[in-house]
Amino acid sequence: MCAFAGVRHFTFLYEAPTSPPGSVELENTITWAHRANWNDVFIREELEIGVTDRFQLGIYPLDWTHHSEGGLQYNGGALELIYNLSNPVVDPVGISLYEEISVARQHFESESKLIAQKNFGRWILDYNTTLEAEWESKGLEEQSGELQQALGASYEISPRLSVGLEFLHELVFPDWRDEEKIRNVFVGPNVSYRRQSWFVTVTALAQATDTTDEPDFQLRTVFGIGF
Amino acid sequence: MLRINAAFGRLKLTSPAERLIHLTFATIFALCFLLGCETANYAPSITQQMAVASSRKQDVDVVKLEHGRNLFVHRCIECHTLPAIWHYTPKDWTEVVDSMAHRASLKPAERDAVIAYILTVRKRM
Repeated sequence: MCAFAGVRHFTFLYEAPTSPPGSVELENTITWAHRANWNDVFIREELEIGVTDRFQLGIYPLDWTHHSEGGLQYNGGALELIYNLSNPVVDPVGISLYEEISVARQHFESESKLIAQKNFGRWILDYNTTLEAEWESKGLEEQSGELQQALGASYEISPRLSVGLEFLHELVFPDWRDEEKIRNVFVGPNVSYRRQSWFVTVTALAQATDTTDEPDFQLRTVFGIGF
Repeated sequence: MLRINAAFGRLKLTSPAERLIHLTFATIFALCFLLGCETANYAPSITQQMAVASSRKQDVDVVKLEHGRNLFVHRCIECHTLPAIWHYTPKDWTEVVDSMAHRASLKPAERDAVIAYILTVRKRM
């Protein structure tokens, strides 16, 4: 039996509930990142599969980036695993563990998350802490890391419509060093709309810091359709 | 373009600012934890008394009602928050669960367990 896997109320954060067993969903994520002199577009396709009541598998066969200067680039594929430990309604906090492995030519990346969520009636409060480790170039000699905290709040206006806010705080460590003290903060609103077998969620984020390598503005859309 | 930087006054995350952000996250997390028990009302626990009272009119027992509650709190929140059980009449609840059973991957026996749980709790409100 196949059905809808689940709705995303946020686009830069993951939520604690996992997909029901047997469900299959295609999720398309498009991110537009803008700064005065450049524009990048990131496109990811994910096949999301509910394996058990607590375990979810995600396969990313397509991951593309379009740079305004460098053109189109294929970033390889990725595998994502999410395991749910507790429920955000009946337990004090809903907790899930997340691991994503991305592999491409001369590139390997690991992304580990702790997802914490609490539902208060029509409110969803969500918190993610993420550790990213990246190896690239010939022989995977270049290394970098990133620690990210993200907080989101979403209010359900009706069972079909939610609005909310997302807040990201990033600490970037080139070569796993903190000499440059790179700190980025992004904040912005989101809206999510869902119907019987599909949903769409959009977030607009502005940079609250002044890091020149990071976008001033990001717009991310996640469109999911169940089979 | 309105630059949010203006509102934040060129926020530079020096150590005190970083500590403030971390403190904010920790406070919100602690509040979620402390207030967690309050939201249990959206899915009240099943007691033996409730099961016995309900079994007079429905074919249910504690195990089936607990299973229904477990499915209710796991499957429904994948798409939306849980509505208060008193929000719909027993007839409406049956129709609501029927209409969403497929998208929540509920098999017929699981759908029956969810309905039995909701109607049992609804009866006591």
